[in-house]
Amino acid sequence: MKMNRTNTAGRLLALLLLALMMLSLTACGTKNGDKADGMSSEPKNAEEAVAMHKDLMAQENAILSENTALWEKVFMAADKGMTMQEDGKNYGDFLLSTIESAKDQFTEDELKLLKEGAEKIRDIETKLTMIEEKYPEAAQESTDGAMSVPAGNDTTTPPDDGSMQKSDDGSMQKFPTFEGKDLDGNTVKSDELFSANAVTVVNFWFTTCNPCVGELAELDALNKELAEKGGSLIGVNTFTLDGDEAAISEAKDVLAKKGATYQNVYFNSDGEAGKFTTNIFAYPTTYVVDRNGNIVGEPIVGAITEKNQAETLQKLIDQALAADAG
Amino acid sequence: MGKKFSGASQIMSRFRGWIQAGATLLTNLHLPNFLKGKLYQGAGKTVCVPGLNCYSCPAASGACPIGAFQAVVGSSKFSFSYYITGFLILLGVLLGRFICGFLCPFGWFQELLHKIPTKKFSTKKLKPLRYLKYAVLLVMVFLLPAFLVNDVGMGDPFFCKYLCPQGVMEGAIPLSLANSGIRSALGSLFTWKFGILLAVIVLSVIFYRPFCKWLCPLGAFYALFNRVSLFQIKVDKNKCVSCGKCAKACKMDVDVTKAPNHTECIRCGMCIRTCPTGAVRFRYGFGDGKDKTKAAKKAAEKQ
Repeated sequence: MKMNRTNTAGRLLALLLLALMMLSLTACGTKNGDKADGMSSEPKNAEEAVAMHKDLMAQENAILSENTALWEKVFMAADKGMTMQEDGKNYGDFLLSTIESAKDQFTEDELKLLKEGAEKIRDIETKLTMIEEKYPEAAQESTDGAMSVPAGNDTTTPPDDGSMQKSDDGSMQKFPTFEGKDLDGNTVKSDELFSANAVTVVNFWFTTCNPCVGELAELDALNKELAEKGGSLIGVNTFTLDGDEAAISEAKDVLAKKGATYQNVYFNSDGEAGKFTTNIFAYPTTYVVDRNGNIVGEPIVGAITEKNQAETLQKLIDQALAADAG
Repeated sequence: MGKKFSGASQIMSRFRGWIQAGATLLTNLHLPNFLKGKLYQGAGKTVCVPGLNCYSCPAASGACPIGAFQAVVGSSKFSFSYYITGFLILLGVLLGRFICGFLCPFGWFQELLHKIPTKKFSTKKLKPLRYLKYAVLLVMVFLLPAFLVNDVGMGDPFFCKYLCPQGVMEGAIPLSLANSGIRSALGSLFTWKFGILLAVIVLSVIFYRPFCKWLCPLGAFYALFNRVSLFQIKVDKNKCVSCGKCAKACKMDVDVTKAPNHTECIRCGMCIRTCPTGAVRFRYGFGDGKDKTKAAKKAAEKQ
């Protein structure tokens, strides 16, 4: 692994800060609650809540899009090991700690700008959390495909176990974002792909993997079935990452032989999704992703030609579809 | 003309257990991966280790030669595993079944099991079973993966998939313990191979190295090179008193004085340690070391 000294030091600092934050958060939780109760800007009904939620989200996005380049740098510096969604940690706090850990990358003015932005976001997030707690449906309705959290944090590794997804407050792990192409060269963006489908099944495979190739026909049938329900299935052939021409033609060849017509995509191996892929070591592995880009349940390891694996997959798909409808 | 071990032969065989432990550790360096339930996937995995050690062991530092051979020969991209075959021939010539006796983790595992104090049985009457491993090598490692292919030209790694107990012990069991996704993927194939592993474990307690003797395709491959390997066992005919202790000590059922470089000899050196006259020793290098015998004969003639 390539890692320079500043980076390591930065990581350590971030970890320390995170630990401090965790300690203080337990106290903060109640304080925030008190504050929220006394706030005059409390929505009176669900409709107002939706409006407020949307407004706040827009404000937050505005702050982030004002200095995109700077924020990009912050996101790059984000410690991939920490999960901001864990324990309902405030996104603003997460940003602040990330900025702090990477402060040597910015000038004085830039730092001031970023910190101000992050502090505003923290306040917005506090309000958002309050609305979400009181009117969960409102949050759902307002978000609808868009994400309150920009991509770039804690999405690089598949989960070691299910613990992350099993957290009871419904916070989920995001599928890593990517901007890639399908095997015919059409651009595919993960956020567009996911938001256009009630459920997206992502199947990781490679050309010389026998069980992977063995399930292609069934996956194609599943894709057709999903299409009727507003879902979709895509394949990611790991040999084709970075657009390897020979690998693409071989993959196409195998797909054609197996009569699989669904979309297969590739992206750069050094991106979020690329790193995510290198952490998958058992093939095939199949993920179920909802409209918001969250991974539903645990990945299915091994071919879905096995009956119980197919049943597990179907359950996850139904779960995602039900959540999308309701 | 090559080095000779005399006292060195004794020391080597005496410290064999430690060498085996060291080799097992070197073959499986990435120990923290056991907790993470992940595999090391770095550059080391592009090279084969000498012994039978599953690629899918979380700690494995390299690839299993038998696994790699099947993966390549069964792949639709290649028709034969030239690189791995060459590597195995090189190891065969350099070390032969010395690898089984000193470097193979699964060999060591069986030996440790054999240390469990129970009644032990001789395998002398089961000698025909030895040929089974050549069939495993030819059929399961080469023929089936290479020729029993599906419509896209892919074969299954038959030995790994249906027989290898090392794969279950090092791969399936630790991975499924630490990784829930893999745990839920376990099926009847796992049950079958787990049964094989249990059988090998039980047999190892009562027999010495049953898997090496009867089933191991890697041992079979190295066995073919034992006779021509640079690593040899020499019996000094002048010192030998034909007491037969070496053959009695040999747990691989080799008649040492008749065929010191027999295909079954794993170079464990038990014969070297039991020989009362120090006539048996390891020898490394070219030539057959007859010069010393000749010199001794000449000296005898002169007297």
